Amino acid sequence: MIELRNITKIYNPGEITEMTLFHDFSLTVEDGEFLSIVGSNGSGKTSMLNIICGSIPIEKGEIIINGKNIAGTPEFRRYTNIGRVYQNPSMGTCPSLTITENMALADNKGGKFGLSMGVNKKRIAYYREMLSTLGLGLEDKMDIRAGSLSGGQRQAMALLMTTMTPIDFLILDEHTAALDPKTAELIMQLTDKIVREKKITAMMVTHNLRYAVEYGNRVIMMHGGNVVFDRKGTEKAATSVQDLLGLFNEISIECGN
Amino acid sequence: MSVFFNTCEVFLESGFVFSLIAMGYYLSYTILDFPDLTVEGTFLSGAVVYGLLLHHGVSPWFALLAAFLVGFLFGTLTGVLNVKLKIRPLLCGILVSTMLITVNLVAVTAGIAGDFKGETSSMITIGRAMETLMEVFPASLLPDKVSGIGLRNVVVFFVLAILLKLLLDLFLKTKCGLLLRASGDNAQFVVTQAKDAGNSKILGLAIGNAYAAVSGALYTEISGSVNQSMGIGMVVIGLASLIIGLSVFSRVHFMKATTKVIIGAIIYQACLTVAQKLGMPSAYNKLIMAFIFTIALIFSEYKKHGKHRAKHRERKESSHD
Repeated sequence: MIELRNITKIYNPGEITEMTLFHDFSLTVEDGEFLSIVGSNGSGKTSMLNIICGSIPIEKGEIIINGKNIAGTPEFRRYTNIGRVYQNPSMGTCPSLTITENMALADNKGGKFGLSMGVNKKRIAYYREMLSTLGLGLEDKMDIRAGSLSGGQRQAMALLMTTMTPIDFLILDEHTAALDPKTAELIMQLTDKIVREKKITAMMVTHNLRYAVEYGNRVIMMHGGNVVFDRKGTEKAATSVQDLLGLFNEISIECGN
Repeated sequence: MSVFFNTCEVFLESGFVFSLIAMGYYLSYTILDFPDLTVEGTFLSGAVVYGLLLHHGVSPWFALLAAFLVGFLFGTLTGVLNVKLKIRPLLCGILVSTMLITVNLVAVTAGIAGDFKGETSSMITIGRAMETLMEVFPASLLPDKVSGIGLRNVVVFFVLAILLKLLLDLFLKTKCGLLLRASGDNAQFVVTQAKDAGNSKILGLAIGNAYAAVSGALYTEISGSVNQSMGIGMVVIGLASLIIGLSVFSRVHFMKATTKVIIGAIIYQACLTVAQKLGMPSAYNKLIMAFIFTIALIFSEYKKHGKHRAKHRERKESSHD
């Protein structure tokens, strides 16, 4: 369970450009939820993910994961049980390392990075098998550098690598936004499959309202640092793209656009 | 003919010795993208430690190991300044190498005279009285000269360079090495692997400087002395060797980067030696060094931009269909 309690986040405190994004913001994500987060630019979606992962500091509040307040824990330690896939496909892999080396690194997450060989030869067959489930032909070019792969291939690999070791939470930050529609669909299906199979609690920021409606079991809309719409379960299943779009327009009119 | 062999001997000796700095730079500059100026100080520190220990009759192999450790220590310092205290890379190098000027001077004085009372002595002569690397096992098994051409030094430096190259290659394949390469490549990725990318960076700088220090130690075998100015210009020598090696063989894929770097160091030393043999006074040394480095840089930049232009053209063409 991820719990954000009374979070206050101020950008550029004490300067002319000071901006309070979150004021006493709270949100609870239950175990097993696949939460889609929609909202306009600047509504605080990505900031919220960054706060959970520790990429940006907060002024006040508690971030409780599995019953422990992690607000003071450094970013890298939080990723022990959190996986994250970014919008930019090149963030999820190391371009100058081969596919095998990338997989080996991800495979060793949580383990010791000592002086034993980086790539365990016995695991290569397993990596190949995992890659073949993607259906992208990556299993035949495991010795090429990840940097020479396309954005879609890299994003599929990133997703696979992030979920290779047991994690409790998966953070997806517009992870299909940089891909073409067909590849984006493929990555979404893969995401859904992995989240279901491994029973991971997932939070996905997306601008694609159809994905928000079709996938996951809860959807929220954010605006100006608040949750303005929150549906789960059967209510969520009944939500249509039209509902979300209607709300979007309402908000825009309020803002005077 | 003997002039030719003699020239070869000179640039092969220094080529193998300086290839160690270049290998260190392969780690810190190419992999971690850290322009490390500490090398000017750690090269000399390695020489000082080696010279002092030899002066006191310590085994040369042990002295070499001590030089490695001292370089490792000061490289760690540079890394800590950058990673933990957030000081910019160039400044970290300047700070540590400046500090090392005093450290090295005091170390030589205190090491030779036994105490330090403000009277500085800045030289250590690696004299006949000492047992150097070339006079102990296993180097002592080799003949010093074969038909008038020095052989032992070249062979010993060659073996050491290859040994340290293989060690570096092996290290880069371990889990620790893989993580280090990942840190240079994509630090955020290392963070999401629940690891602190900063620690890998510190380790990389430590090893890079350890290699530079060993290079300094071995260089005393060629120069016959340790003097306080021998660290000057090592950044240029190291980087030039690295960049020459990597750009000359940029299309050769079967060769390991560390091998290319060794050959780069030899090419660079060959150019310098030939210039000297052609009658260039040694005062011009550093000027020639900078000149060859500039040419290497222009050459490698030109290549990069050439590639970039080709890509741009490709994109333009494909957008037309």
